[in-house]
Amino acid sequence: MRFSDKFKAFLIDFVIWLYLLGSGLYFADSFGYKIPIIFILPLALIFATILNFGEDSPGMALFGEKKRKWLKSLNGWIIMLVLIMTMAVGWSVVEVDLFKFFTKGANAKGIVSGLFHPNFKIIKICLTALVETIYLALLATVLAIPLAFVLSFLAARNLMPKTFLGNSIYYIVRTIATIFRSIEAIVWAIIFSVWVGIGPFAGMLALMIHSVASLTKLYSEQIENIDSGQIEAIKATGATTLQVWVFAVIPQIISPYLAFTIYRWDINVRMATIVGFVGGGGIGLLLLQQQQLLRWHNVGIIIWLIALVVWIMDMVSGKVREKLQEM
Amino acid sequence: MKNIIKINKLHKKYTSGTHALKGIDLEVKKGEFLILLGLSGSGKSTLLRCLNRLIEPTSGEIYFNEMDVVNANSNGLRKIRRQIGMVFQQFNLIKNISVLTNVFTGKLGYVSLAHSLTFKSHKNDLQLAEANLERVGLWEFKEKKVKNLSGGQQQRVAIARALMQNPQLILADEPVASLDPATADSVMRYLGELNKKDDITVICSLHFLSLARKYGTRVIALKDGKIVFDGTPTEIDEIKFKEIYGEDAEEVEIR
Ligand SMILES: Nc1ncnc2c1ncn2[C@@H]1O[C@H](COP(=O)(O)OP(=O)(O)O)[C@@H](O)[C@H]1O
Ligand SMILES: [Mg+2]
Repeated sequence: MRFSDKFKAFLIDFVIWLYLLGSGLYFADSFGYKIPIIFILPLALIFATILNFGEDSPGMALFGEKKRKWLKSLNGWIIMLVLIMTMAVGWSVVEVDLFKFFTKGANAKGIVSGLFHPNFKIIKICLTALVETIYLALLATVLAIPLAFVLSFLAARNLMPKTFLGNSIYYIVRTIATIFRSIEAIVWAIIFSVWVGIGPFAGMLALMIHSVASLTKLYSEQIENIDSGQIEAIKATGATTLQVWVFAVIPQIISPYLAFTIYRWDINVRMATIVGFVGGGGIGLLLLQQQQLLRWHNVGIIIWLIALVVWIMDMVSGKVREKLQEM
Repeated sequence: MKNIIKINKLHKKYTSGTHALKGIDLEVKKGEFLILLGLSGSGKSTLLRCLNRLIEPTSGEIYFNEMDVVNANSNGLRKIRRQIGMVFQQFNLIKNISVLTNVFTGKLGYVSLAHSLTFKSHKNDLQLAEANLERVGLWEFKEKKVKNLSGGQQQRVAIARALMQNPQLILADEPVASLDPATADSVMRYLGELNKKDDITVICSLHFLSLARKYGTRVIALKDGKIVFDGTPTEIDEIKFKEIYGEDAEEVEIR
């Protein structure tokens, strides 16, 4: 076994034991035993070391040479213990309470009855808010397209020159897009509702930022997948760089780009309602207000309308994307 | 006769470290049908792509009609490239657009971007493109999308695209390697005809000695980035063939 593999195996076992002992500590704590957390460090170190010498542990199973049967090895039991511990800690942390679940259903009476007796009198207000949401999503998508389009070329490995500048731009754009994408739209909505005030504009900005980031990724992956042979062939005719783009790059990406964009609009309509909840305006905001006023029949109609729109969007975007695939 | 291509001490070292061409010296006369033989990895594609600088040579000189290819600026390179048609093993047509538009792209080296967006409305271009399609027997297919065509048909579209360039030289990189024998022969026949009737010089890499003998006027063989044979197709006998392709190669296997 190479030293680096030995080290990796040890590290994995060490982390597993830290986790197991830490979980034990969590339960001890909830029963009132205060054990200083520092104790688990040497213990985990000792366990991991011993098991590594015995060559029977999860780390050794991953990197070592000896193969053992699952249930006939310590390794199997340790993994089992990890799974059991995880479920137990999870159960406790999430405060699962089956008693409540089966006895307190009556609390939801209001909302369930609201769903069955939606209040059609407020449908005009609802539709206005819904239109706001749909336009919000549409605008966020449309405004995201040109930005993502340009950025996607900068984030495509095969288009960026392999110079210091080219590499830097590629990594910077990629990294920023990844970070922005991993921040949920709802968080962006909170940021922008403080920045420009509560309302659809804040929601639009939130969705737009998120859309730019994820479309940049999808678009650029599409560019990375294009057939370089076609580019070569067009270059060989004596075409200028611009002509190469128009005749060899764009025809290859146009229909997947459209498909991604429509899919994004679909997602944005969905997210627009959620974003509304935290100050992004539209139907989400209306839902929040009505829920806080406990007007369950109004909540009912809003939920039905949202479901309807999401269902229609889903269907339409699915059909359009299907057609684009055939093209 | 004049040389259309002259290569001196051409080297290509890829950044990966592979020394793909190790000092190629070659003169190609106008009107030749030059066949390039050699095992895969011997440097055939690299050599062909250096000629129009799809690949940048590491050192050496290349002249096309006495024009310096290696030191040409981007405008000069454009003027060189547009006179050199190219045909590929994978056809490399734009699959999502029509056959006719693909043929038009052969004109890109001669026209502005604005012009290239409105090819159809230029009468000369349209007539020329249709005539070239007619020539490869695909006029009825002009509105079809390329991806709906068979391999042999696609390669003929590629030939029509090359013809659109009004080329003096056609580079063909294993143009028939992905086709069945009968289709392969028909594609080679088109290249042969261009060579004879239109006096277009052809440099074509192949693996089949039979096709080399049938269409080639001269054969060179590459091995490990060096030219190991240069002569007429009939001069290649079994012994020479084994030298090029290694002891285990059987001519029958290579068709
Ligand atoms: N883009 C590239 N980067 C690095 N090495 C390459 C590249 N293209 C070809 N090579 C290498 O150069 C050598 C010659 O390849 P190639 O010209 O494609 O030969 P052939 O066309 O005769 O099969 C091979 O060893 C191949 O692996
Ligand atoms: Mg090759």
